Amino acid sequence: MATLTGQSTYFDFRTALHKNRLRGLWRMMTGFRLPYLGAVATLAISATAKTATYLLLRYFVDNVMTETNADTGIGSTLVYIALGFVGLALFEGGFAFVSGRLAAYTAEGITRRLRNFLFDHIQRLSFSYHSTTPTGDLIERCTSDVDALRRFFSEQAIGVGRIILLFVINFIALLQLNAKLAWVSVIVIPFILLVSLWFFKKVTQRYEKYQEQEAILSTTLQENLTGVRVVKAFAQQEYEKAKFEKDNWEKFLRGRLLLIMHSLFWPLSDIVLGFQMLGGFVFASMMAINGEITPGTYVAYVGLVVWLIWPIRNLGRLIVQTSTGLVSYARLMEIAKQVREPLTDGVVQPMGPVRGELVFEDVSFMYSDGESDVLKNVSFRVEPGQAVALLGSTGSGKTSLINLLPRFHEYTGGRILLDGVELRDYSREYLRKQIGIVEQEPFLFSRSIRENITYGVGRDVPEDEIVRAAKAAAIHEVILSFPDGYNTLVGEKGVTLSGGQKQRVTIARTLLKNPRILILDDSTSSIDLETEAEIREALNRLMKDRTTFIIAHRIQSVMIADLILVLDKGEVVQMGTHEELVTQEEGMYRRIYDIQTRIDEELETEIARVD
Amino acid sequence: MSEEIIELEEEEYTSQLTAPVFKRIVGLLKPHWRWVVGFLLTIALVSAQDSLFTYINKSIIDEGIVKRDMDVIWRLATLYGGLVILQSGLVFTFIYLAGVLGERVQYDLRKMLFNHLQDLSLSYYSQNAVGRLMARVTSDTGRVSDLVTWGMLDVTWAVMNIASATFFMLLINWRLGLIVLAAIPILVFIAIKFRKKILVEFRESRRANSKITGAYNENIAGVRVVKALGREDENLEEFQGLTSNMYRASYRAAWLSALFLPTVQIISAIALGTIIWYGGIQAQVGLMTIGGIHAFVSYLTFMMWPVQDLARVYAEMQHSIASAERIFRLVDTPPEVRNRPGAVAAETLLGEIEFDHVNFYYEDRKPVLTDFSLKVKPGETIALVGPTGGGKSTIVNLLCRFYEPQQGVIRINGRDYTEYTLESIHSRVGIVLQTPHLFSGTVRENIRYGRLDASEEDILEAAKIAGAHDFIIMLEKGYDQNVGEGGNLLSVGQKQLISLARAVLSRPELFIMDEATSSVDTLTEALIQRGMEALMKGRTSFVIAHRLSTIRRADRILVIEAGHIKEQGTHAELLRQRGHYYRLYTQQFRHELETVYGFAEAVGADEKEEASQTLAAD
Repeated sequence: MATLTGQSTYFDFRTALHKNRLRGLWRMMTGFRLPYLGAVATLAISATAKTATYLLLRYFVDNVMTETNADTGIGSTLVYIALGFVGLALFEGGFAFVSGRLAAYTAEGITRRLRNFLFDHIQRLSFSYHSTTPTGDLIERCTSDVDALRRFFSEQAIGVGRIILLFVINFIALLQLNAKLAWVSVIVIPFILLVSLWFFKKVTQRYEKYQEQEAILSTTLQENLTGVRVVKAFAQQEYEKAKFEKDNWEKFLRGRLLLIMHSLFWPLSDIVLGFQMLGGFVFASMMAINGEITPGTYVAYVGLVVWLIWPIRNLGRLIVQTSTGLVSYARLMEIAKQVREPLTDGVVQPMGPVRGELVFEDVSFMYSDGESDVLKNVSFRVEPGQAVALLGSTGSGKTSLINLLPRFHEYTGGRILLDGVELRDYSREYLRKQIGIVEQEPFLFSRSIRENITYGVGRDVPEDEIVRAAKAAAIHEVILSFPDGYNTLVGEKGVTLSGGQKQRVTIARTLLKNPRILILDDSTSSIDLETEAEIREALNRLMKDRTTFIIAHRIQSVMIADLILVLDKGEVVQMGTHEELVTQEEGMYRRIYDIQTRIDEELETEIARVD
Repeated sequence: MSEEIIELEEEEYTSQLTAPVFKRIVGLLKPHWRWVVGFLLTIALVSAQDSLFTYINKSIIDEGIVKRDMDVIWRLATLYGGLVILQSGLVFTFIYLAGVLGERVQYDLRKMLFNHLQDLSLSYYSQNAVGRLMARVTSDTGRVSDLVTWGMLDVTWAVMNIASATFFMLLINWRLGLIVLAAIPILVFIAIKFRKKILVEFRESRRANSKITGAYNENIAGVRVVKALGREDENLEEFQGLTSNMYRASYRAAWLSALFLPTVQIISAIALGTIIWYGGIQAQVGLMTIGGIHAFVSYLTFMMWPVQDLARVYAEMQHSIASAERIFRLVDTPPEVRNRPGAVAAETLLGEIEFDHVNFYYEDRKPVLTDFSLKVKPGETIALVGPTGGGKSTIVNLLCRFYEPQQGVIRINGRDYTEYTLESIHSRVGIVLQTPHLFSGTVRENIRYGRLDASEEDILEAAKIAGAHDFIIMLEKGYDQNVGEGGNLLSVGQKQLISLARAVLSRPELFIMDEATSSVDTLTEALIQRGMEALMKGRTSFVIAHRLSTIRRADRILVIEAGHIKEQGTHAELLRQRGHYYRLYTQQFRHELETVYGFAEAVGADEKEEASQTLAAD
């Protein structure tokens, strides 16, 4: 099997988009069609070998069993026939194995590259797509729907093919034996096929109902277990038992209903098929007595007809199941048809890093599905190394403004110039290398702390550099206190880091990345006193010599900024340094500043009151 | 830990059947023994009939066709037809009996487990992750019920199938029958070997699969970081490593399975070849008939199915027995905190509460409270402050008797509280947790949880006292609004208000509150404060406090650090000391005011002015 090596692991499934889902599935098989057809062909050979076994049996019965002359030739004929059976079995088994292996090769191969494609495609979709699509839904599609497609290729499509091949080949063999007999033997087949299609459709629906109840029961259970303190505190154990009992009993009832359906379908179809078989036997034995067929033919017939009739019920099941594969195809192609965010579309390609001078000229921004501008005519200028604080309520446009810098979103009006060059002319890839982001509660990956620090730095970082960055980020001591130090895993299987600790890991990472432009979401809502000072120090180190944008939640970070932008409803309502703004009596900023003063005063009064 | 991983982990365990476990499994079936006998009997008959069908066919050939006797054929056909009808009746019976019994056993087991879980103490829950307990009730019960129904059915069918086929083969020609008999152990051996190999790969692929799911999860949830750091290419490369592992394992599992059946078939073909050869020779001397040859071919073909199946059933059985052991272990765990013999119902909790030299540690044996003493007067409001892990929650847990002290005594009304019944204590305690836990259902159902026999008026009144009424009636369906799973359709503040109302309704004598740290909007915050105040009136209250207003209102503040009371006193007393409390307080003060004044929201300042006045009036 030379094809097994060098299999492609990536395929652009956007080329498999097609309105007709079956044709789409066919396109998905690009590069695997030959092995898949091979699987079907070898399956056919295997089935033919099985059929041939019965024909050999016929020969054996007619030429050995019924010839009673005990001449010497019989012995060697017998050996040949016996070896013939073994040989046919080798054929049958060998090709069945090749077929199974090819089918697995195809199904697993397609699945692997589908998984790879989806993973890559999703991480390259735009920000707006991700902000509107729930994570759970995407993951569900990438797991359940991919698995449904895998089963479509590995079990259902090949299973349907197998049953049809068995039917066709055995039917042809029967026609060869005796056409009349052949037709008599398949009278009920269309009927059984229709009934089983109907039944499995119904049973699938019922099964979903059963599963729904199982899910309800699980929810009840989970809520009970996670809320055990509430249950105990209100001494509601009996109530809980009754609630669970109700759901549990309902599930029993639905399960019983499902069972009743099964316990009716199988015996009833057994009767129909049993009588079909019996009818065939009687008919065939009459023919045998009349001499229309030989006893050998009768024996072969009895063996063959089994493979013709019984698998039909399963055909119904498989056909019903393939519909889930089609649905999954459509669900996955919905993701595939989303447009990716180009990463390398810029026209300028600077050799070194940017200086970090930013000019906003009448910048406006509107979401593609939005109605009004989120940012309106924003203009300001930042020199390299300066810090800009953004101030404003939720929805004032702070985050939108920040998201324009790494081109997470594209501004829809005006210009942004970075080092005198329009931002759009830089590729996203280049820009994002120049920008570091420290969020207030950053996302860490479930890998070791070391890997989280070097995540995305894009080069091999020597150990001492990692430690230096961790020390500068004031997280080194914390890391050493963990059981495995820098190798400690973050998340479920390792340690849970507090918000502040996560933030400091991100600071260390950003120090290693060493970007010219820094975006800082400065919120320290749930951090206690000591760490707050440490984080502040680490942040100061990080901001040094970088153009910094601070989404400010605290007064201190505003006061150190070189430029303060006060935003309201997408517009800059005030701009300047702290000294400038604080003198504008009527302005927003003055009011904020007053708050700071008032807090100090109130604290003093409070203390004074008790003293 | 995710349920997927737990299940994977537990699947690795297999167990051999031991006498005590077997006895208990049989015990589960005792109430339904008629059903068991019924389905075992019917499946045995079905399987015997299958062999009989082949034998009838043999007779049709030998007695009818060869002897050209149509009468015999009609007679045999009638018998065959009758048997088809009889068999469909039997098939109906065994599917119905085994299937319904399976559902029933699962129902019984789940009920038993759930009821026992209700009685277990909090310590059990802290040692066993919810995911694990869920697996006990959901998948383990499923596996055991499958074992005692379909598992037993499969075994009976397989054994009967082989036995009856062998019987008929020996009847037809004992020499040839012995040849087939010799092949069976070889087949079974090979089947089990294969099954084991396939299982290893299969598990490997499931493990790889859960890693893949994890990778999707992270990359999608952290897509902002990925994009910002431009790590797309590296991520894809890493991910391809994962999918390739998955590919290797599942491809191997698949082709091993594809190899299994042919191998079994070839061995049986060798047996068939031998029979043909030997049978052919015997036929020359009239010892073997055409029908006999046909019967042997059929029996050999149909014996393959149970042989393959036995291997699968065997593997599943081992897992099911491990499941049964886990279930029994849970059921056998006695609740740690339980009523002492001769316990009496507490008449009231509104008395003096005393911690007398209490020592306490959790399962890891690290001391949490050492030599802790405290006296609380009835009606007093105690605020507990201090760093996380200092022991605040433990004090509250002991007070509620979710745990009991290992040393020392907790007294209520001067009497060791372990002399009271648990119910009498719990029914007089009202608790509001830091992360309020609501149940799926309506708002009304959630409030009523505090006291099930409460009238509609009581519920409304409780909601009003707790300050929840106003927001509830603003909901689309008011009190009939569905709160979603775990209450997640409501905001944190709303959930807190409802859990307050629930506590109010339960008319507690001892009120315990673990204040939320997360900030809620100012209006809700004010409502919560008012609701708490209403609740604390005339009750002994313990509050793990994070809000200044709560702290200031307390009769006594305890600063808890490392299991000790570091400082205690009223707000004013403690501030004057300029110690721990002073530092905590000033820090909190700044934070809170900055939030209250809505530093980030300062643009719409009107609302804030109002809020600051509420606080200043405190």
